[in-house]
Amino acid sequence: MTDSDQQGSERVDVDRQTGQGPADTELTGDQRRAERRAGIALVVAIVAGIGLFVVYFSGGQTQIEGILFAVAFGALGVALGIWANHLLDAREVVEERHELTSGPAGRQAFEDALAEEVGPVLGRRSLLVKLLAGAGGALGLALLLPVLSLGPAPGNSLKVTPWRRGLRVVDENGEPVTLNQVPENGFLTVFPQGHEGAADAQTLLIHVRPGTLKLPPDRLAGVPEGTHVAYSKICTHAGCPVGLYRAESQTLICPCHQSQFDVSDGAKPFFGPAARPLPQLLLGVDEENILVAQGDFTAPVGPAFWDRGR
Amino acid sequence: MVERSLKYVDERLGTASLARKTLRKVFPDHWSFLLGEIALFALVVLVFTGTFLTFFYTPSVKEVVYQGPYTPLQGTEVSAAFNSVLRLSFEVRAGLLMRQTHHWAALVFVAAIVVHLCRVFFTGAFRRPREVNWLIGILLLFLALGEGFTGYSLPDDLLSGIGLRIFYAVTLAIPVVGTWVTYLLFGGEFPAGDIISRLFVFHIMLLPALLLGLVGAHMAILVLQKHTQFAGHGRSERNVVGKRLWPEQTFKSVSLLLFTTAVLALLGGVAQINPIWQYGPFEPFNVTSPAQPDWYIGFLDGALRLGPPWDLDLFGFTISEVFWPAVLFPGIAFGILTLWPWIERRFTKDRAEHHILDSPRDTPVRTGIGAAGLMVFFIMFLEGGNDIFGVLLNVSVETITRILQWGILIAPILTFLATYWICKGLSRTRLHPAHINAGVRLSRTADGGYETTSLEPTSSDGEREPTRTGG
Amino acid sequence: MRRTAILFGGIALLALLLTPATGAATSRGAARAASATAAAAQQQPADSPALNARGRELYQNACASCHGPDPNGPSYYPDVPSLADVGGAAAVNWAVRTGRMPWKDNKGPAIERGEPRFNEEDTRALATYIGKAVGDTEIPDVDPARGDLQRGRELYGQACAACHGMNGAGAALGGQNIAVSLQDVHPQDVAEAIKIGPGQMPVGGGLADYEFGTAASRQEVDDIAAYVESLHTEPFNRGGAPIGGKGPVPEGFVAWVIGLGILVAAARWIAGRG
Repeated sequence: MTDSDQQGSERVDVDRQTGQGPADTELTGDQRRAERRAGIALVVAIVAGIGLFVVYFSGGQTQIEGILFAVAFGALGVALGIWANHLLDAREVVEERHELTSGPAGRQAFEDALAEEVGPVLGRRSLLVKLLAGAGGALGLALLLPVLSLGPAPGNSLKVTPWRRGLRVVDENGEPVTLNQVPENGFLTVFPQGHEGAADAQTLLIHVRPGTLKLPPDRLAGVPEGTHVAYSKICTHAGCPVGLYRAESQTLICPCHQSQFDVSDGAKPFFGPAARPLPQLLLGVDEENILVAQGDFTAPVGPAFWDRGR
Repeated sequence: MVERSLKYVDERLGTASLARKTLRKVFPDHWSFLLGEIALFALVVLVFTGTFLTFFYTPSVKEVVYQGPYTPLQGTEVSAAFNSVLRLSFEVRAGLLMRQTHHWAALVFVAAIVVHLCRVFFTGAFRRPREVNWLIGILLLFLALGEGFTGYSLPDDLLSGIGLRIFYAVTLAIPVVGTWVTYLLFGGEFPAGDIISRLFVFHIMLLPALLLGLVGAHMAILVLQKHTQFAGHGRSERNVVGKRLWPEQTFKSVSLLLFTTAVLALLGGVAQINPIWQYGPFEPFNVTSPAQPDWYIGFLDGALRLGPPWDLDLFGFTISEVFWPAVLFPGIAFGILTLWPWIERRFTKDRAEHHILDSPRDTPVRTGIGAAGLMVFFIMFLEGGNDIFGVLLNVSVETITRILQWGILIAPILTFLATYWICKGLSRTRLHPAHINAGVRLSRTADGGYETTSLEPTSSDGEREPTRTGG
Repeated sequence: MRRTAILFGGIALLALLLTPATGAATSRGAARAASATAAAAQQQPADSPALNARGRELYQNACASCHGPDPNGPSYYPDVPSLADVGGAAAVNWAVRTGRMPWKDNKGPAIERGEPRFNEEDTRALATYIGKAVGDTEIPDVDPARGDLQRGRELYGQACAACHGMNGAGAALGGQNIAVSLQDVHPQDVAEAIKIGPGQMPVGGGLADYEFGTAASRQEVDDIAAYVESLHTEPFNRGGAPIGGKGPVPEGFVAWVIGLGILVAAARWIAGRG
């Protein structure tokens, strides 16, 4: 018995390469039982397989198909597992490990070869090699240039939204929102007219109870009748829409990370990971009693970024 | 006929001797060495089901009107991506089965990688000469996370869209280059329309290419270096004791492949997962509760919920409060994980080659640190589901958050100490729950006397080593 | 004799142990059924003095100890709201029929639903009496069959989904507040809750321009009720067992415990005694 491993050798009691394993007539009782069990498992697998055909061609049904696949594959797996553990004449085999390293001699030979074959080529052309490195660097960087085409320059786009002075407040279907349309304790998601659905312009219009707002006078001036206050709907933490309004306590909670904002107090966060209040949108009312914006938000909306403060 | 085909191939590719050598290779037989294979076979299921899904998916955010059989959505404008996944789920025979099997396979894939990683860590299998394979393994973990995240964001539903929004905020929170990186990655301000088609490219081309290549390298190195083994009778640093690749290990591996497929198909059929028709299409101004990502991203969600509201102003520049839990913490944690072989070597000064595995109880410091690390992640997972656990346990989310904020500082220390103490105790007694206990066999001699035989604790291969004592 | 005693004892113990389980399983269904019959009975406004008297008697026995001797007046405790402006007869209907009232001694946040403690007659009596006393006797009339399912889904997404979940799963709202699961509620519950705005829920349920009594608002409520009904009909859970319908958290749990659990057991079996 030869082995192509140079250093490997095996110590096994029985030369399993020449034998075909034990003859069928010498099956032990345990092996006969195992064979029977494996056989049953295989029959189950066949039946389940046929079942799959039946189910599929009669219209299919997700749950039954899943179960039949599981039974078919599982039974086959059981059969092979029984075969592996009981029907193979499995003995433990010992295999020697060979050295992983080439050894100092091998590495020395590699270094010599490198010096012999690579050295002369580059060694005498040091100026060319340096210029080659330079060219490689310049071109390598240039190859990265198309990456910059993947997106526009940020500019100040994160600091502005479509809201402008005089733009009407509309709902997501474009219908203008009039004063007192939203009932007391109610809320509505609104947008600037012409930009319905704009992600950065999404605003929560909340009709709070009279006398409950604690805002400084310049902010209160942007709250028609002292009750219609509007804040950016984009959470200043990670940007989820803060749609959960708790009418009784006049507070908002963001479902993503449970930041909570006090609507009566300028939407300041009082619990959770958010660090900055929701920017306010100052509102006014036009001659048709429709709510209009007095300008963009009081601060950049949404999560913080590096140059937010500049 | 078989002989002639084999001869045909061998004459052209010289496969016969390589095949013979490979099929005779010995692999040790412990069940915990099959955990990596569970991950591998989950990947096989992912590739097969994923290919099927690719034939039906449209990676576009162009608006179309849904006309399919799910009544509540009929007539609604949805993205072509969302529409294609709905059609696959409701109008393609076995479509929903394939889709759900694919998603369950993703969850189990990452779970199997994690338990495999734990086995490798706690037994010290990352030590020389297997540091490179450790690095490849960590990389595979990241690729799996990336595949999962990009994958479940493809249907463009409300829940995964919210997740993308949070990912946008996380990349924004990277100091100095965050805004640029985000704009280049997404293609502009959120919700940049290009993101779905870009995620598609990552999910079916870039990441799978890296994943499959690295899996190949991972297994090639394993075959080249031979598998590690636990200490035991006849085992040494210079050999491998086990069963051959053919026939035993092949049968066992194929059996495990079949079991993996069976379990994933079962879940895919009977357990509903990611029912996007319930969530509806993504609109950037809509939200749903509760809002969590798939489990393997859950630690990040929990970290964000735990994070303190500290944003920093540095001369007009802002460090977002998102930076600490979502950029700095994962950077440090995964950095430590990646560099662990070298970190450990610095302290143990152990530069020797190791092919015999440690018993976790014999390395109490490493085991303790590993347990503490797992506790940190476990607490984050708990916090990620704080609103669901709150309803389940009748406790407010604020209470859960406060407890876990303190917990994440205290619990890992306690876990380390407890684990260390347990390891030391187990080490002393040398008892193992899976071994038959040492005992004494009492037997009668031929002349009527008694003989006691002390039985050593058995090793896992079932061999006993009786040693005679007096009679 | 002893064996018989043991046998019966065993059966009794088993019945005792299983009752909460079956009770829990059917309580929602039973509550819905109770809601259904009670709702049907309450569609007609009742006006008999006998009913009013019965209502007062029930109120004095079951409610006055917390809510005060007069429904229109202050309650005895700061935590307990006066019934003067909680929504009138509709609020009584909603709270009593869903088993929230009379208040159970529950330890956790939010008042839990449960089996209704009064039958339909008595519920109607209470609603009549209290409604009259506070001056709000209107009970909403809702019919999902009249509703537009697609419009209902749209309205639900705007007004309800943030708290209750697009699939009605419900969520914690911070503090002692919970938005309940809507996956198994009766349309009458939906209509009444929208009218009265219980707890942190605003009156109108967050629907813009909601005004009880107008045709437009009634249509909107019918639409939303139609969508809420669709949350427990078959295509909704086409993928199989919904595992709570709470999304990726229970899914992850199943993947680890069942998925990986079975596979690790399989690995141990396959590896044999190796």
